[in-house]
Amino acid sequence: MSIPGLGQIAPQAPTTTQRTINLRPFGEWRFSIPHQHSTFSSNSSAAGVTVRLAAGTAERDGTELAPNCVYTFLPGTKSKLFTDQGCTLEINNTGGYPLEDRVVEHPPEQSPMLSYINLHFGLQDHERAAAAQAQQQQHPTHHQQQQQGRGAGAGVARPKPGPRVLICGPPGVGKTSLAKLLAALATRMGSQPLVANLNPTDGLLCLPGTLGAAVFGTLMDVEEPAGGFGVTNTPISGPSAVPVKNPLTFYFGHEKVEDDVDMWRQMTERLAVLVRRKFERNRDVRMAGLLVDTAPVEAGDKEGQDLLGWAVRQFDANLVVVLGSEQLKTELGQRFASEKTSFEEPVTVLGLDKSDGAVQIDKAWRQKSTETAIKEYFFGGIKARLSPFTQSASFDELVVFRAPDEPYEGAPVLERVEITPEMAHWTLAVMIASVTDSPQAIRFSSVKGFIVIADVDQERRRVKFLSPVSGRLGNHPLIWGRWPEPYLNLLA
Amino acid sequence: MADDAADVAEDYRQALEDLTVNSRIEIATLTNIARENAHHGLAIAEVLTNHIKKVPPPRTLPALYVLDSVVKNVPTPYALYFGPKLYSIFMGAYTKVDNPTRRKMDEMLKTWKEPVPGSISTKPVFPPEVVKPIENALIAAKNVALQVNQSSYQGQQYMLRGARPPAPPHRDTPTPPNVRPATQQPGQQYPPPNGHMPPHGGNAAFPMRPHNGPDVLPPRATTQPPYGAPYHQPQVPHQGISIERLRDDIQQLIVAERAEFARDPLDVGKQTRLKALLDLQTLIQRPDVPQEQLMLVKEKITELSVNMRSAATAASAAAAAAATGIAPVAAAPLQYPVPYTATPTPPVIPGAVPPPPPQVPGGRPPSASAVAGPSAGAGGALSIDSLFGQGALAALLAGATRKSATPTPSQTGTPQPPIATPIPPPAVPPVAGAPTPVPAAAAGSLAALPPVIAAALRSQTPTVGPAAPPPLEAPKPAASAPPTVPAAAPPAPVSNPSALLAMLRQSGLLSGTTPAAPAPVATAPAAAPAAAWTYTLKQYRGPQLINQLHEDLGPPCTQCGRRFGTDEEGRRKKTAHMDWHFRVHQRVTDAERRGQHRSWWVEQSDWVNSLEAIDSDHGHRSDTTAGGGAGGLGGRGGGVPGQDTLNYDDNVDEDEDDYDPEASFNNSYNPNSLYPGGGGIMGADHSGGHGGGKAMPGHGGGRKGGKRGGLDYIPVPEDSAKVNNMCPICQERFEMKWLDEAQEWVWMDATKVGERVYHASCHKEVNGSVGGGVGPGGGGDNGLMSMGGENGFGGRKRKAEDDAYSGVKGRIKLEY
Repeated sequence: MSIPGLGQIAPQAPTTTQRTINLRPFGEWRFSIPHQHSTFSSNSSAAGVTVRLAAGTAERDGTELAPNCVYTFLPGTKSKLFTDQGCTLEINNTGGYPLEDRVVEHPPEQSPMLSYINLHFGLQDHERAAAAQAQQQQHPTHHQQQQQGRGAGAGVARPKPGPRVLICGPPGVGKTSLAKLLAALATRMGSQPLVANLNPTDGLLCLPGTLGAAVFGTLMDVEEPAGGFGVTNTPISGPSAVPVKNPLTFYFGHEKVEDDVDMWRQMTERLAVLVRRKFERNRDVRMAGLLVDTAPVEAGDKEGQDLLGWAVRQFDANLVVVLGSEQLKTELGQRFASEKTSFEEPVTVLGLDKSDGAVQIDKAWRQKSTETAIKEYFFGGIKARLSPFTQSASFDELVVFRAPDEPYEGAPVLERVEITPEMAHWTLAVMIASVTDSPQAIRFSSVKGFIVIADVDQERRRVKFLSPVSGRLGNHPLIWGRWPEPYLNLLA
Repeated sequence: MADDAADVAEDYRQALEDLTVNSRIEIATLTNIARENAHHGLAIAEVLTNHIKKVPPPRTLPALYVLDSVVKNVPTPYALYFGPKLYSIFMGAYTKVDNPTRRKMDEMLKTWKEPVPGSISTKPVFPPEVVKPIENALIAAKNVALQVNQSSYQGQQYMLRGARPPAPPHRDTPTPPNVRPATQQPGQQYPPPNGHMPPHGGNAAFPMRPHNGPDVLPPRATTQPPYGAPYHQPQVPHQGISIERLRDDIQQLIVAERAEFARDPLDVGKQTRLKALLDLQTLIQRPDVPQEQLMLVKEKITELSVNMRSAATAASAAAAAAATGIAPVAAAPLQYPVPYTATPTPPVIPGAVPPPPPQVPGGRPPSASAVAGPSAGAGGALSIDSLFGQGALAALLAGATRKSATPTPSQTGTPQPPIATPIPPPAVPPVAGAPTPVPAAAAGSLAALPPVIAAALRSQTPTVGPAAPPPLEAPKPAASAPPTVPAAAPPAPVSNPSALLAMLRQSGLLSGTTPAAPAPVATAPAAAPAAAWTYTLKQYRGPQLINQLHEDLGPPCTQCGRRFGTDEEGRRKKTAHMDWHFRVHQRVTDAERRGQHRSWWVEQSDWVNSLEAIDSDHGHRSDTTAGGGAGGLGGRGGGVPGQDTLNYDDNVDEDEDDYDPEASFNNSYNPNSLYPGGGGIMGADHSGGHGGGKAMPGHGGGRKGGKRGGLDYIPVPEDSAKVNNMCPICQERFEMKWLDEAQEWVWMDATKVGERVYHASCHKEVNGSVGGGVGPGGGGDNGLMSMGGENGFGGRKRKAEDDAYSGVKGRIKLEY
């Protein structure tokens, strides 16, 4: 065209801002929106890439998208939208984010999603079975109780919970995604499964470096980077558009299980006790069962498999799902062949294919994700902006503990440490315990929240820190872990 | 007077704060207030200005619409007040909002250059000297943005249009943007600012129209394509176009055309074209043709002149155009070699990428396409239409004249001109009779999917056998098994009994029977070894199973996608769910204003004891339902503490005065200490404080009691005649109170024992010595007392809570 300057815009690299894609049933739209670098500035105020479900059904990790609603996927999201019925998606990248995406369509029989969905239905059968059994049991129990009077129901056999599934596999096979999917599908059907995370590299509804569990009975967040498992969904002081979940977390303080295997064993044991207790108290959760997400374990990794065995016993898992490794499946199959749960069930080992879209998250990405989570914890995100409180305290007011650097024979699990300038920018866990408690008790209490040390003034012996909630910390001890690393730019 | 103004301003400020969505009614109300308080206009203008400046981006547009509405409806004095500040207001807002909003702002800005629609006055809303600087700034900004970001809109358009060179930025959008998916912004919206009424609204529906007298001018709504038809993309570069040069170009063309015409006076095509050019010339003379339209004109003109010069013209193009079957009106003037062909765009499946247009046999790449379709317009319109494609004239006329002319809804019915590919709100209402593609938004279901898929999805059980036998028939497998095997599945491993069992189980699922016979199902999973699992996992069991995750669960919630059944219970749940959405939405503004923060997480035992609160904000059902009241089964006590942590939002509002962002942990965590749940969670949190060392849950009756130490209440009995409304112990009436948390009227401090209702405190007093620590109330009190002392950090608040507790008790007992 002959208008100077206009016609010459070459066709190369036209970044589309809006387009529409059609997916056939069992099609996937995989996308990855890299974390934002400080050098990259979006040319608009769009917070991320928006997607609208124009027709059909689509879901992210099992949670359905509402038709015609605009969902915003934020930078730092690597995920996929899957459709089991076919759909039309409208994707809008007005912000010009460096979105990488592609459409993958398998025939249903070849899609790994098929087996995941089937697994869900299998578990549901199991759940029903547990419910039916419970009903059978309950009747005599009830009867008994009435005969013997109130409060005398002790001695009745422990009711059997729904399926307890442990998901394991090599790194980057989609373990957490599968856990999310199964949790979301169960939630969709009205169950309230319990999800436990034994991989400190991730955090379940928490910052990384923690182990934890939570019940998922309500809609999961589709938009946040972690797809419903992120810290975004924990309670805030105001209303939240996506129902919040209530996490229970232990502060591990290391990136990998191997960094402190003993501690990991003790914490998972403790977590399992609480999970069991939860099952006892809450029938709905008991029926829905448990999903355990684990740290990556390779085939041939004897030690890692020992830990899996530990977890299986602690959580009474009756189903071990091995993702993406036939060999690991075989090895675990042999290991658990003679194993029985406390309900005398065999431990079944299942092998499932990994999705070819599953990728290993690299270190830089993970680092960024951790920082995003910390930021999200204190400052909120697009859905709710939060205002943390900067506080100042004298050195004596904060009681900080840390695991000893080089544990010696008979060393305590935690030692009191002085506040030093090195602590600046570290994220410290606030424990639900008292400073006068034993180190052991503090170590195994659950996390109340986190603070970030902003500034240490050694001369005046004062420390400035960022706390999500105002008010003094009282006599809550803090634990200074070794991971996640300081987030330097949080307060910049 | 000054105080008065301050009051008015403060009121207005608060009213503005409540404006979160684009709601016509609210904006109309705000306009009215502004009108009535015109004598405080300066204060109101001030407030509104400040509001627009500091409001968060998503709420900026409604605020601007208020400004727009106020200025258009009460021009005196507001136009004067806002005029000087308009630049900073507009640009300030423009910088913080997102692109769709900017587009709306562009449209609004455009209307400010024109008189108020329907008004007698011919003065523009704002004088040009006010609007012009804004426009200039916007154009400059866009040019810069374009240079900076080469991933420009042009490129995108280019790609979307297939192998077509970029067309001018003008987009004749036949989309009435008023029509949006209703789900996005429920409620009535403020009409787009150019005064064009939403089709369903009608003029009368807009109460704010000041000059609704005899319409001197026909309402512009009829002359203008819906809602800023020629609205432009912000990214589009605006190059200043000299009208003079354009006029010269046209003049040259006319001269050339005249020469041609003289040579062959019988050629209808040339004749028409000449006429078109002449028409165009007059159009261009008008002073107020927007830039982007000029661009369009210019482009065509340049194109034409190029063509004129390169005389290599082929008559075949015309024939081709005719052959593609376009409307004769459009074809007739095209009998000369024009460089554009009318290409009927094939009906596009909504959402699909527009296919490249059919190649015209003439071999010349089509440069811009005129769209075939019912041409609606006066005779003179035809020729220009033929030049620029239908709709161009409409756009021109709309911008340049006030004459009632072309743009009819039928335009929206024509196949979308490829120029207008990505329309942000993709809701094109289908027009009856027009051969339109199904609009994407209207689909919402399988209808919009490619027919093949839709058919596949709808088809019932092509791959699966007939309705399978229920699992009860398992004992006679030979007969029942074969039909359940999906056609695609390998038939071999049926010999494996467990696999067979699994298959039968499956078939139970397939036929949709939930375990009517629990026994076989119950044993199956336990017995199913890995082999059976593996076998079932790989099977595709047809769409029925998938439907269990979708349709079978009921229709989805329009806001979050959660599905609810259509039966009685499903409806009840859905109602609760929608209420919950509503409440959350209502409080978001409030919470934002107050500032919110992440809450502390709960302690282990509370986590264990908490229930998931699903779409309900009250976990504290009446104690009496537990059958025992205060003396009954201790377990039900004061509800489940953890629940409140999940429902914080409810508590925020109940005690406005109580809320104190500066309060200590506990208080900000749950400021509401008056109600059972509040009390409960307070207790819980405190126990976290003092009992962390003994973190093991379930020790110490005192602590447990503390958690249940909330107030007792029962819902007001439905038939109060049957129930005593006076406490038999103290002979005082029960206080009726609306408990927001429970969403019902309740009697506070009441408990039902058998058929009689007592004050919980009275009953406890009397029975306490007998019942001991069994009753939750008693335990609760003990808990509170014992905890008060040893509380580590929250002592102050504990005290306060005790006070609150006794305060309420006292109040309830005293005032009746």
